[in-house]
Amino acid sequence: MRDGINIAKLGIPAVALVTEEFWPQGDFVAKSLGMPDVPRVQLPHPVAGTGTENMKAIAARVAPMVIEALEGVSG
Amino acid sequence: MADFLTAESEADALEDLHNRDLTDGLPVVIPTPERVSRMVLASGQDADMVLGTMGPGHGIATVEKVAIAAVMAGCLPDYMPVVVAATKAVIDPVFDLTEMQATTHCTAPLIIVNGPARLSCGPISSSYGALGPGHRANASIGRALRLAMMNIGGARPGSSDMALLGHPGKFTYCLAEDEENSPFPPLHVSLGFQEEDSVVTVIGAEAPHSVLHSGDGDDPDNYKGLLDMLAIGVANEATNNAMLTKGSATIVLNPEHALVLEKAGLNREDTAEEIHKRCRFENKRLNKLSPGFAPKTQGTRDAFNGPEQLLILMAGGSGLYSMVMPSWCAGAHKNSPSSVVVESEFFCEVPGLASLADAS
Repeated sequence: MRDGINIAKLGIPAVALVTEEFWPQGDFVAKSLGMPDVPRVQLPHPVAGTGTENMKAIAARVAPMVIEALEGVSG
Repeated sequence: MADFLTAESEADALEDLHNRDLTDGLPVVIPTPERVSRMVLASGQDADMVLGTMGPGHGIATVEKVAIAAVMAGCLPDYMPVVVAATKAVIDPVFDLTEMQATTHCTAPLIIVNGPARLSCGPISSSYGALGPGHRANASIGRALRLAMMNIGGARPGSSDMALLGHPGKFTYCLAEDEENSPFPPLHVSLGFQEEDSVVTVIGAEAPHSVLHSGDGDDPDNYKGLLDMLAIGVANEATNNAMLTKGSATIVLNPEHALVLEKAGLNREDTAEEIHKRCRFENKRLNKLSPGFAPKTQGTRDAFNGPEQLLILMAGGSGLYSMVMPSWCAGAHKNSPSSVVVESEFFCEVPGLASLADAS
């Protein structure tokens, strides 16, 4: 989350990927760093360690959302 | 009846309690007669009912004296049935309270709450940071037991509580099990209680030790790494569990790790058995490390009598870390865990009394 905000502050379009368990923490960090609306996309939890196939399926599902969010940033 | 102290103000009363070594070093709520009466009322029991004696000072734990500890700790009256159950649990002779309080080891009663009292006497957290700051019931229930152990049991650092350093869980050490999300039956059901019961289980516990495991969904044997790591954490050769043996220990699985075990087809008993099997040491190695505690014979020695000595529950946020708590493993009963049903059906509150007590 913090990485996404720091990159966004550099003027580079960024979307933070945040799992559902850490979504409230993402909100907190975004607010505390003064960018409450920084773009983010929700992932299921957990992702790490769940196997290649599952991670590929998650990636396929969220890729359009990431692109959509980036379009919103750059548009 | 408890003795009465008097002071000009609450601030003076607090200083007096500190000076008399009646606190844990932090500020306490002054146990005025009104506040204590309200706490006694919440227990639904008579003030002078004796729960037992608490060593090493062998003070008599009446409901009123436990209520004083609960007030001082900052408990709401709602919590009182759990505080009473926890007190009864440590008083059970199998818990070896006198010896445990006096030992040089770093041990504290970990309070585990199961059943409906998790909500009705709380809420007692079983989620993020349940053993850390920010949860009133967890913080004050554990603290109430500690203040009872000090002020009724007489444990004082350096004179009657000889823990060389102690650990932060001696201030408070209480959590609930996350029954709703656990793949296993509630701990108290596995211990033989009815699901609708509320049960407090106390177990002597070192500070929580983190056990790291990052799963690999592509490896069907990956769960074995988790079992290995839990075993290393809970009874490595530096622990009393490995060296003194035959004591219990606690394993708090985080939801992610519990899921790994469930997917591997392991229930609570299977998991305990697998960890038990991994806590077996070569006598030769134990002798090399600490000859005073190691058997002189050849062969191997188990840390635990059996899998039933491993208390496994699920709590905390979801992630990479579970927690293990080795134990002291001494005393006549090896400081065995003790479970007591919470008698919350006696809980009593008089309308209007709360505001009366607050106004006093």
